[in-house]
Amino acid sequence: MYKLVPSICSYCGTGCGVLFEVLDHRILGTLPLKTHPVNEGRLCLKGWSLHEYVESDMRLTGPYLRINGRLHQVTWERAIGFAARRLTEIVDRYGPDSVGVLASAKISNEENYLLQKFARAVVGTNNVDHCARL
Amino acid sequence: MAELKDLVRQWLESGRVDLFLGYKEVAGHPLPYAFSRDNLEEVAELMVSPARYSLEKLAANILKARPGLRIGLLARDCTRRAVNVLTIYNQVEPGQVELLDLSCCPSRPQVSCSALTPPEVGEVKRALGLDNRLTPEQFEAIPAPERLGRWLYEFQKCLKCYGCRDICPVCFCRECSLEHGELVEPRDLPPEVPMFHWVRAVHMAGRCIDCGLCEEACPVDIPLRLLYRLTNRIVRELFGYDTGLTLTRPPFSVLGVGPAEPREAAGGKGR
Repeated sequence: MYKLVPSICSYCGTGCGVLFEVLDHRILGTLPLKTHPVNEGRLCLKGWSLHEYVESDMRLTGPYLRINGRLHQVTWERAIGFAARRLTEIVDRYGPDSVGVLASAKISNEENYLLQKFARAVVGTNNVDHCARL
Repeated sequence: MAELKDLVRQWLESGRVDLFLGYKEVAGHPLPYAFSRDNLEEVAELMVSPARYSLEKLAANILKARPGLRIGLLARDCTRRAVNVLTIYNQVEPGQVELLDLSCCPSRPQVSCSALTPPEVGEVKRALGLDNRLTPEQFEAIPAPERLGRWLYEFQKCLKCYGCRDICPVCFCRECSLEHGELVEPRDLPPEVPMFHWVRAVHMAGRCIDCGLCEEACPVDIPLRLLYRLTNRIVRELFGYDTGLTLTRPPFSVLGVGPAEPREAAGGKGR
């Protein structure tokens, strides 16, 4: 019914330990994990507000496609199909270096690995960058 | 410890409480853990954690969603003081929370729990700011003209993370002055010096129970505990009011329907 779930903050690459207050499968709040070696019980404003986006009504739960100037919720298949077709067209027309890939501190190492692999092996460009270089 | 576990098991089995908040090791960390009749066998893993979490705040959050529950807490002295304040301010009903006292913390006269992991005080902070370990008396030994400058040095480090408020066991207001655009200019960083911290300090008068969690949560080591100790010392000197020690309403409760009925002190018996 009620438990505290340790996790890692998903906002940046620092990796602060957080604790979610979970009551009846809903996250009530976020606390800093006091014994975590990275943040030692401290958090920034974003970490403290983690639960707000998880439970937010504004949160996107599926892909949207802009059709005739308006966003429509579509299936993953359609969204990925569209992105793949347009990327292929762009690469064919302007060459691989017309595409850049922005990786993220908010995803896992493995996902970042796949993203650069996609950029280099599939698209054929070395244009890979990351928000931590801002 | 065995005696403590027996008591918790007894409280749960007898229905004296529905939920007991203590600590248990999870994923290598001592974490607050909710023991209940459904997981009685886990009571064997109940532990006393050196890392302090505000169990009373967790309980108050649960009670907001489930007012019918009775919750037991592993209580340090600061927990007991916090529950008293929460009761005075109607955040917890008498009887909703039972305390199992833990004599882990010789906290009266109040010991500095942040002293368990004293923040390193470097040269610059010592020269320009305030050592977090200062007592109010030591603070007053600093020449008066120097004091404000030292506070300003501390306040200008503020990241406006709201951690001091969010971790505070006795911060529960639905509308917080610190988020009020008229009082605290949005987007400014650091938040208005020194007003942001003074606004909070004023609100801590007659409310702060000196647990020190705010200071432990502060990413930039602002000596918040000292600030609120100084604030509450004024309350003690002017009104003879000791925050959290009794269920007497603080001198600032001017709203409401006349004098409050005296209430039964926070339940539960000492070990």
